[in-house]
Amino acid sequence: MSHARPLADLRAADAAAFGGKSSALGELIQAGIPVPPGFAVSTTAYRAFVEAAGLDRTIEAAMARVDPGDVDSVGAASHAIGEAMRSAAVPGDVRVAIAGRYDELGQPPVAVRSSALGEDSSEATFAGQQETYLWVRGTEHVCDAVRDCWVSLYGAPAIAYRARLGAGAGEAAMGVAVQLMVDAEVSGVMFTCNPVSGDPSMVAVNASWGLGLAVVGGEVTPDDFLVSKVTGEVVREHVQPKEVEYLPDPDGRGTVRVAVPEDRRERPCLDRDALGTLVEVGRRVERYFASAQDIEWAIARGDGALFVLQSRPVTTRPADRPKPASAMSLLMGTFGAGAVEE
Amino acid sequence: MAASTGSFPNPYEIETPPGAEGWQEMYPYYALFDERRRESDEQRFWFWNSMHFPLPMPAFDVFCIDSPYDGIGEWQNRVFAVPPAMGIDYRCVNGYIYISGNPVTDPDKIAERAVYFQERAGYYFENWDELYGKWRVKVDAMIRELTALEVPDLPEYEPEDVVYADDRNLRFYDVLDAYSRVLRLGDLMWQYHSEFLLLGYGAYMTFSEFCKGQLPDIPDQHVAQMVAGIDVLLFRPDAELCRLARLALETGVDSAFVEGRTPAEIDAALAETDAGRAWLAELEQVKDPWFNMATGDGLYHYYGSWLDDPSIPYASLIGHVAALKAGEDIERPTEHLARERDRLAEEYGALLDAEARKGFDELLALSRTVFPYVEEHKFFCDYWFLTRWWNKIREFGALLAEHGFLEEGEDVFQLSRTEVGQALDELVLTWATGGEPLGPKHWPPIVGRRKEILERLADWTPPPALGAVPEAVNDPALVMLWGVTTERVHEWARSDDGGSGLTGTAASPGVAEGPARVVKTVGEISDVREGEILVCTITSPAWAPIFTKIRAAVTDIGGVMSHAAIVCREYGLPAVVGTGRATSRIRTGQRLRVDGSAGTVTILE
Repeated sequence: MSHARPLADLRAADAAAFGGKSSALGELIQAGIPVPPGFAVSTTAYRAFVEAAGLDRTIEAAMARVDPGDVDSVGAASHAIGEAMRSAAVPGDVRVAIAGRYDELGQPPVAVRSSALGEDSSEATFAGQQETYLWVRGTEHVCDAVRDCWVSLYGAPAIAYRARLGAGAGEAAMGVAVQLMVDAEVSGVMFTCNPVSGDPSMVAVNASWGLGLAVVGGEVTPDDFLVSKVTGEVVREHVQPKEVEYLPDPDGRGTVRVAVPEDRRERPCLDRDALGTLVEVGRRVERYFASAQDIEWAIARGDGALFVLQSRPVTTRPADRPKPASAMSLLMGTFGAGAVEE
Repeated sequence: MAASTGSFPNPYEIETPPGAEGWQEMYPYYALFDERRRESDEQRFWFWNSMHFPLPMPAFDVFCIDSPYDGIGEWQNRVFAVPPAMGIDYRCVNGYIYISGNPVTDPDKIAERAVYFQERAGYYFENWDELYGKWRVKVDAMIRELTALEVPDLPEYEPEDVVYADDRNLRFYDVLDAYSRVLRLGDLMWQYHSEFLLLGYGAYMTFSEFCKGQLPDIPDQHVAQMVAGIDVLLFRPDAELCRLARLALETGVDSAFVEGRTPAEIDAALAETDAGRAWLAELEQVKDPWFNMATGDGLYHYYGSWLDDPSIPYASLIGHVAALKAGEDIERPTEHLARERDRLAEEYGALLDAEARKGFDELLALSRTVFPYVEEHKFFCDYWFLTRWWNKIREFGALLAEHGFLEEGEDVFQLSRTEVGQALDELVLTWATGGEPLGPKHWPPIVGRRKEILERLADWTPPPALGAVPEAVNDPALVMLWGVTTERVHEWARSDDGGSGLTGTAASPGVAEGPARVVKTVGEISDVREGEILVCTITSPAWAPIFTKIRAAVTDIGGVMSHAAIVCREYGLPAVVGTGRATSRIRTGQRLRVDGSAGTVTILE
């Protein structure tokens, strides 16, 4: 099996080998959703890395000393494993595979994101395994970013989480998604339901200027829209002052956090047309996966093209909706005549 | 309704406005806050029914309190036995009508009534179409009988028929018989009017609540859109006006429709040409039945029909002609509405899981079944029947005036229905015997005094509620028909301070600013100008034509399911209903901001 494959080739069944994020992106491409092109690094690459560098024993030893209730022991294990991984080289065959796919893309600036097993599924989101490296450029840096994603598998929160699951956590391994970087003028998140009320007829959109870091990282209070899926009406709109945004570093690598110019701060970052496009794409994604989705998206500077960066099932539990009783007993209830047995 | 700390005025401590002393004589003894009932009455929650009775009640019009509350009370309490609530009590304060529900509090009684309700209401819901079909037939017959009912005159000599034909009654009998029959027909109408009322509104409300449970953010107007009829009788009169406006343009008589002209002036201009006369002939065809719209929600004798006062339909014709000339579409886009209604229902239904979908489909079907009644009974009962019924009473007034018992026929409404019966008793007696009637000396001073009292009372502003603030409003009738919810009542109790804002129910979304036009009587409707914000006690679908002029509507009372709210949504106007006191807090000309999504009204200056 190849260590790296184009995202477009992946399907849901590849989640075991490539992680949830990459396989979901493959499905999105299959569904005709605009997704930045890219490739996925397999968990086999991670295993080859661990094996080649003889990290198994380091990991095993460090993990054996972890007491899930003891924060210091978790931190110590994370530190030890991280150090060991960062000083280990990415094995040649993995490097060749990554470099090959990166060449196919044309060596552009890319986003490198972890794609953990079990991540992006509705079962659980492994805390802390959501590493994302933006605006990565050049084969060496891409390989480093991939390794940094692997390191996050042993971040303190991830270790604590896995320790709590015990044997149920399964073998730790991680895939990585590498995608063409979108120079986002606006980006954000949308839920294809109202995550607060649970209303499935609404799309809730959070948006802010620049790259998605600001919204995802909670560094700005984003503009907040609630849009009816059924009519496209904006039923709620809160435009917020957006103080900061992330832009590509002018030096060519990484991102910079800058203050949003005064004149754009209080302007809504999405107009009705853009919201309409978002809702339409959101509905397509939801229909394709047949469940409510939590979608990260970006609108490219220049041509205003919309890209979906990732999509996963909504995991936050919406407020419990009342269990529907029979029509007649509800009707009787309106008149205070109690429930009627069917 | 349990009482909590009362911050509404005590009904026994309301002062009579100067000059209105003795107002109590206009009303039945049982309609007053009487000392003999004080202990219970001052502990109850009473709210001003400004939705139906925005003006001080003339003595005769009290019929339209008693009879509807007979009807609705009996259907609710004695026929269907709605478990937690019997009927509605009313009391009159300074001429204004306050109402309060009679709750059932004993759990055993509630359980007992639930058995009746489930069976009886169940039968109505299951056989709705058939029962409503029968209702239409009997209502038609009732309107025909009323129209055919003759109010006899009292000539010098009985005609020859009485001598030579068989079975002729004497006039004294015919007059008294006609008067009692006209009253009974009024009762019959209110009996019919109330038959489906609670069940119809209840079915709609259940669907609406269901939607909000499953789809918490669904806008109210989407619920209404899924249910509302497309080919609705109430829209037909305006549809006919649209057709006539097009006809005017097509036949080149549109120049007659000039803003500011009276209907008579327009008719005169049209009568000058053949084409104009042809248009007038077409108008005559439309009048029966479509001009039987009332000029307001018809619970007062003031509200005539379009036949009595054509200024509303003519104002609408002028507007439609101008809109057509400006290239606008004026007709309701019925095909689009029908498609949109089905699309909304399909899409919302598809978002629900199978179990919820079943309830949604059943309740939607039921709501659509009951909705023709909800939308149509107003046309037949409140408009067509009632405007003709008042005119029948006017005929008795004319008879009394002819014989000096009243100065003019219209004065008949200053007497109660029993006083009118008494006056007629004396009239036919003295006419029969040739004796000297006392009536001409007795009634005119009473009428004169009452007219003055009503004028004084019209200047008084009734508080939205009296008595105790209830912890909760559990009466389904109050919630369904008046939009009086626990939340609204507490809002009233809080907002006694006179700040610059009002809150109510968000009934139709959107934000609008503009000058206020406070409309308290139907006569003021023609004052409404383009771009104004209508502020009224309750908007009436009969006012539909002015909805093309206004920017937003604000009402004292009403819920999201009131006809008014539905019409507003159809016209895409922001509306805030149930503010409690908009007509008393806002003055014509003040600039307002109406937020129909948030349910707020801000007085900007």
